Amino acid sequence: MSDGRAACGPHERDAVSVTGASVGVVAGAFLRLKLALVRNGVRQTAGRSAAFVGAVVVTLLFGGLGLLGMVALRGHEHGPEAAVVLVALLALGWAFMPLFVGGADETLDPARLAMLPLRPNAMLTGQLVASVVGLGPLFTLLLVTGAAVTVADGAAGVVAAVVAVPLALLTCTTLARALATANAGLLSSRRGRDLAVLSGVLIAVGVQALNLGVSKLSGENGAGPLEALADVLRWVPPAAAVEGVRAVGDGSYGRAAAALGGSLLVWLLLLGWWRRTLTKLLTAPDSSTLGAPETAKSRAARSGSGPSRWLPAGRAGAAAQRTLRYGWRDPKTKMGWASALGVGLLMPVVTAAQGGTSPYNAFWASALLGLLMYNQFGQDYSGFWLVSQTIATSRDAYLELYGRALAVALVAVPFTSAVVALSAGLADDWASAPDAMGLALALLGALIGLGAVTSARFPYSIPQDSPMKNVAPGQGALAWFSILGGMLAGPVLCAPVIALVVTLHMSDATGWLWTTLPLGAGYGVLMAWAGLRLAAPVTVRRLPEILTAVSRA
Amino acid sequence: MEAAGNQNAQGHDGTAAGAAGPAVAVRVRGLWKRFGEQVAVSGIDLDLPAGRFIGLVGPNGAGKTTTLSMITGLLRPDDGQVEIAGHDVWRDPVAVKARIGVLPEGLRLFERLSGRELLTYLGRLRGLPVDEVERRTGQLLDVLDLSAAQHKLVVDYSTGMRKKIGLAAALLHNPEVLFLDEPFEGVDPVSAQTIRGVLERYTASGATVVFSSHVMELVESLCDWVAVLAAGRIKAHGPLAEVRGDAESLQSAFLELVGARGDAGPDLSWLGGNR
Repeated sequence: MSDGRAACGPHERDAVSVTGASVGVVAGAFLRLKLALVRNGVRQTAGRSAAFVGAVVVTLLFGGLGLLGMVALRGHEHGPEAAVVLVALLALGWAFMPLFVGGADETLDPARLAMLPLRPNAMLTGQLVASVVGLGPLFTLLLVTGAAVTVADGAAGVVAAVVAVPLALLTCTTLARALATANAGLLSSRRGRDLAVLSGVLIAVGVQALNLGVSKLSGENGAGPLEALADVLRWVPPAAAVEGVRAVGDGSYGRAAAALGGSLLVWLLLLGWWRRTLTKLLTAPDSSTLGAPETAKSRAARSGSGPSRWLPAGRAGAAAQRTLRYGWRDPKTKMGWASALGVGLLMPVVTAAQGGTSPYNAFWASALLGLLMYNQFGQDYSGFWLVSQTIATSRDAYLELYGRALAVALVAVPFTSAVVALSAGLADDWASAPDAMGLALALLGALIGLGAVTSARFPYSIPQDSPMKNVAPGQGALAWFSILGGMLAGPVLCAPVIALVVTLHMSDATGWLWTTLPLGAGYGVLMAWAGLRLAAPVTVRRLPEILTAVSRA
Repeated sequence: MEAAGNQNAQGHDGTAAGAAGPAVAVRVRGLWKRFGEQVAVSGIDLDLPAGRFIGLVGPNGAGKTTTLSMITGLLRPDDGQVEIAGHDVWRDPVAVKARIGVLPEGLRLFERLSGRELLTYLGRLRGLPVDEVERRTGQLLDVLDLSAAQHKLVVDYSTGMRKKIGLAAALLHNPEVLFLDEPFEGVDPVSAQTIRGVLERYTASGATVVFSSHVMELVESLCDWVAVLAAGRIKAHGPLAEVRGDAESLQSAFLELVGARGDAGPDLSWLGGNR
């Protein structure tokens, strides 16, 4: 039996084990792996299967509607601009969404593949193939196709579109993977994780600055912003690919060649960059940080004197203190807090700079901070077992949730007040400050209450061992639905307070608007209390189920 | 095997007869758990005597972790009952959770707290008085040789230190029964000796320790009572000497009980052959 092997000789053996499998075989394997991951993630429970089917329906519905909408824009004066901006927005989404919300998957995590004898080309092709399978790519494909249909004209235009659509899609997925790979290197050290948190805030600031710049640029006229934006974006790949398709239809082939060629070049450059970072990530040693030496200052900060003295004694205080500590020390939690605080502060400032100012914009701060109450137990990851071991009664669960809500409120209430004051100052509209504050507090309370209930009902895991994942495979749809549902339900729950403000304005009883402050605050407390009361018995009943859901890796 | 046959034949009666002496710390009846098609635990009946050092042994995948998770209320069984010191785990969680300490395998701690903060936090969750928490925390950290690292975040702890802080967390509220899932897995000999010392002191006070392991030498040297688990069933249980029977060591008794093959199957003649 060893004859055949002996005949091969040492060089043959090297060729098999060192060069590894061919590019095609690896791509096939990655494709099957991705499909298997999707399948396995979905078939675990009936609820998850339903969530996945729901996500498919939503993707097809909105993707299809987007496609139809773009097709309808064909021939419209601003159709091409819309197409360009749409594709650019998709690319932006691909760049940042996977880092903040799910969407990442295990075929993407290079650490799992480090020990396989894969050549970079095979690895790259495989990951690229896996990256275009899934709901996100399907959604993107539908919209990009729509954009191409809007601008394609004549046979040459169709040919160009056939090239441009896959190119745009591949650029999007490559961008997402390249950024994730670059970040994985960064996120494997503790110092790097802190930087990443900062970059999250910088991105938020950057997007807002862009938004601000564009609107300043565009002035007052109707489609102005769109045109101004499109003028820049039509030369930014992958949106440039759409511009290329349009130019082919126009007959301006030089322009088309530049746009399409530029898009291709950028994609190739992205691939090259990705390849370099991937090779480096898989061959360089892991840079895990050892604990920093203990300083007298940090020891003093932890000794329990400080402001934590003001927290209630017992369980609620302990839970609140731990939540606040995690907000500072745990990178993923810190990212959540930092973005909520950063964006909450920025939105009123940006809208003020654009002239559309009002103290009501402070609701951003309370809404984003209120959303931190969502999936509380998922934030514990499998550490939740420690909490679960100490919860025996509804009262315990209530105090646990109350402590966590208290931590959110301790930051959110003063911060929202400051933002209301700031936006009132910017708008020079101090008269609206009380009712803006009332509305913001009602919303905060409603979201805290809702967050407690969804934490108990729809927990999902936030894997702590991988910086690449914010949702465990198969739970992404659940996460999205619970956050989206919460964002919609918050305002609905606040309807009475909103109705009060509107009625007072409509009936010229503006002298009574100040009543919104106490009423809104009271309503918020009531909503939060009701949510905690509802969530507590559910939490006690479902402790093992919550633990199973949140410890998924 | 003779001894094992005896164990199985005894069933409830055997343990009931044994109950003339020690009380029952943990009573398990008809415990089942399926994960999809796969049956992880198929109908376990078991009485664990109080005041003993009990080893739950079995090969990987035998259902040790699943069983311990269900006994400690971390995982809901599909069927069956568990009583700890006479209290039903699912109907009387107040009584049970105060009486048990748990150190699970593969679940995290709150790793962004320092060792001392973690213990203080858990003490407060358990409703212990602040002074008492401080006193116990200090002593546990001391005994477990963690005082020097008490202000370090748990995320920076080594495996041995993690097991030790986990053990401290499980002991903090002075439980009657302690459940440890693979407490010595990946632990260096020095930490293992420390853990061992603490556990021996603890059982000497009359408390019960139940721990799972697949290292027979360890079980043999630590435990006075064992239960052998394979493929989700109890194959034998009883005092160590009885389960070991005539076999030369627990290891060989165990291999026979779980039906492990002596030979290595197909001969793998290519392995180590001509390359």
